[in-house]
Amino acid sequence: MTLTDAPARPRPRDAGRASPMSLWRLLWLELRRNAMPWMFPLLAALFVFDPFRTAMGYGPFWDLRASVLENKLLPDFVLFVAGVAAWMGSRDSRRHTRDLVDATARPRWTAQLTTWAATTLWVAAGFLICVAVLYGVTASQATWGGPPWWPVAVSLAELALISALGFAAGTFFPSRFTAPLAAVGAFLLCLEGFRNAVGRSSVYALLSPTTSVPDDDTGLFRHYLPDVSIAQLMFLIGLTLVVLAALGLRRAADAGPRLRRAAAVIAVAGLAAAGTAIGLTGTARTQAYGTVIPALHDAANDRPIPYTPVCGQAAGVPVCVHPAYRNFLPAMTAALAPVFRQIASLPGAPARVDQVAVNDLIASNGAAITGVPPVFRLPVPATPDETSFGQNASTFSSYLQSTLVTGFVLGAHGFVAYGPPVGTPAQQAVVLALLQKAGTAIQTGAGPESAHAKAEQVAAAARRFAAQPAATRHAWLAGHLAALRAGRITLAQLP
Amino acid sequence: MTAAGLQKPEPRAEASRPRGLLDHSGPRLVRLHLASRRVPGALAALALCALVLRAALIWHWSLGNGNGAQQLPVLIEAGAASIIAVTAQSPFGDPERATGRWLPYLRLGTAVGLTAAAFAALAAGAAAEHLPGGTLDILRNTAGMTGIGLLLAAVIGGALAWTGPMAYMIVAQFGLMGDWTSPWVWPARPPHDAGAALCAGLVFVAGIVAATVRGARAFREV
Repeated sequence: MTLTDAPARPRPRDAGRASPMSLWRLLWLELRRNAMPWMFPLLAALFVFDPFRTAMGYGPFWDLRASVLENKLLPDFVLFVAGVAAWMGSRDSRRHTRDLVDATARPRWTAQLTTWAATTLWVAAGFLICVAVLYGVTASQATWGGPPWWPVAVSLAELALISALGFAAGTFFPSRFTAPLAAVGAFLLCLEGFRNAVGRSSVYALLSPTTSVPDDDTGLFRHYLPDVSIAQLMFLIGLTLVVLAALGLRRAADAGPRLRRAAAVIAVAGLAAAGTAIGLTGTARTQAYGTVIPALHDAANDRPIPYTPVCGQAAGVPVCVHPAYRNFLPAMTAALAPVFRQIASLPGAPARVDQVAVNDLIASNGAAITGVPPVFRLPVPATPDETSFGQNASTFSSYLQSTLVTGFVLGAHGFVAYGPPVGTPAQQAVVLALLQKAGTAIQTGAGPESAHAKAEQVAAAARRFAAQPAATRHAWLAGHLAALRAGRITLAQLP
Repeated sequence: MTAAGLQKPEPRAEASRPRGLLDHSGPRLVRLHLASRRVPGALAALALCALVLRAALIWHWSLGNGNGAQQLPVLIEAGAASIIAVTAQSPFGDPERATGRWLPYLRLGTAVGLTAAAFAALAAGAAAEHLPGGTLDILRNTAGMTGIGLLLAAVIGGALAWTGPMAYMIVAQFGLMGDWTSPWVWPARPPHDAGAALCAGLVFVAGIVAATVRGARAFREV
């Protein structure tokens, strides 16, 4: 018979309650003896290398920059959190001290929860330091809005779950190989979650916090919808409770009846929370301004956020943007002015430029220039000066000019996006000619041979049209613009 | 009573002759060394990595085409390298260093043998399935990341040496998605890229030399 096989002595009736101070002391010991702080230099390097660099590549918009927390920072943390938690969970077995600590007064489950809590506290501290740096820098640059906290809460909940899973893996399979295998497993889970979230293979992919990259202007014109975040929190916290309760139920034999009951109640509560979250997510529907879960939705979030636009002038045409884009206004007016000089006083030429949310444009079937007098409704990318998504100052300027010229030439069908040229060959040729005169760098002739030949014809017609004197071009456009927009002009009819 | 008062013990009877191959001192030393490094467990973990790779290839867990399809194989190769790195940890520390004349050779054999086993396991896991980059990629990536793990084991100890290949794997994922061209981010380069193979080979050799000469650092375990 060993010490652990010996029957537990019943607790004396007059025994007092264990001092809570001893639990604090235990937690303090675990905090001091935890492996997680050893990971901080590595995590700091990875934070600067990817999430921070990526966020600084975005414009100073709170929600857009906060998206790196779930898409970039979380996967970096997940790997090391799972590994270290598994390492801490297998500690007693690796050190062959399990029998020794089993015999201590405090129930083993409580001690395990303390070790897990210490690991998770360190994880949370490291994550929050990264958040503080990111939000601190953004606060010094942003001109609108405030820090979003839902992504922070969801990320912390996922880290707590990963920590619990890693800890359980270390407890159930104590070995020196558990830590790297747990790290690989957690990262695999993260990649797969990301794949499902991006691919939207199922509505339940919304439960993965590693969501796709949001729109550039998310949270500026409309409120951020927290519905999905609430469901994710319920799901992640529920699963965490289930895993922690499983640790307690595994050691039920050496725990008292109260602890066994507590573990069972926690497990049931966790299952209920996770199940409810899954059920709620099944009712989610995607709307123009985010994903809505009816039972969690607050109708107040559907109202647009009021703001006073900031305006500048591009060749005499007012250009108005959201205050958050105030710093982009000089670059925008500089990019649009040459185009406005080309199309000034022509029928349908915009009398004003208003920035709109990307989703507003989609909701109105993509009409870029509408109203009387015509207003050019422009969605603005949030990365004008940096290199995220291959964007830089030159491509930002080209995007604005292409959007305006294409919207102007194509008229009511002039919704513009990155991709192959739209419109008839004559429309494409006029677009190219106007862009060329506005100073936009244009690439033509890519694609298969037949498309290449067609693109060459369009490019030749564009060169011919651009070579005309400005007055001739302007006069021809004034007389033929309606026919050109209707698609009744051929390449040969261009001057 | 003092030690001087003790009687000299009788000479021991002649040790019994070894009965099998593993009872000879050489194979026995090898067997004990492999057991101390948990090599059987490492082989099982490598087999698990191979199974995961096979499942990923069969059920198309990859993220799209092109470089995105290589993210999962690189992750699993990093896992295999991490497993080899943690085998460097010695449970004996300085006493072993002080008495083990054959220790450098045993370390060399263990590291090279496990790398070969990792390559064989992953290649077998990818057999008859389309693996982006092919088996040359497996060899280059696994060897290079194993070198990183062994180098880190010499610096911080074997227990947490798995963090080296994992951190490198994250950098490699950026390289894959960003089409980086540096040969030092070898997983992002094509399998026949000589520069990438050279860099991975150099790191592997450096790791093997460190593991052979110094072994894993005996570090205070946390």
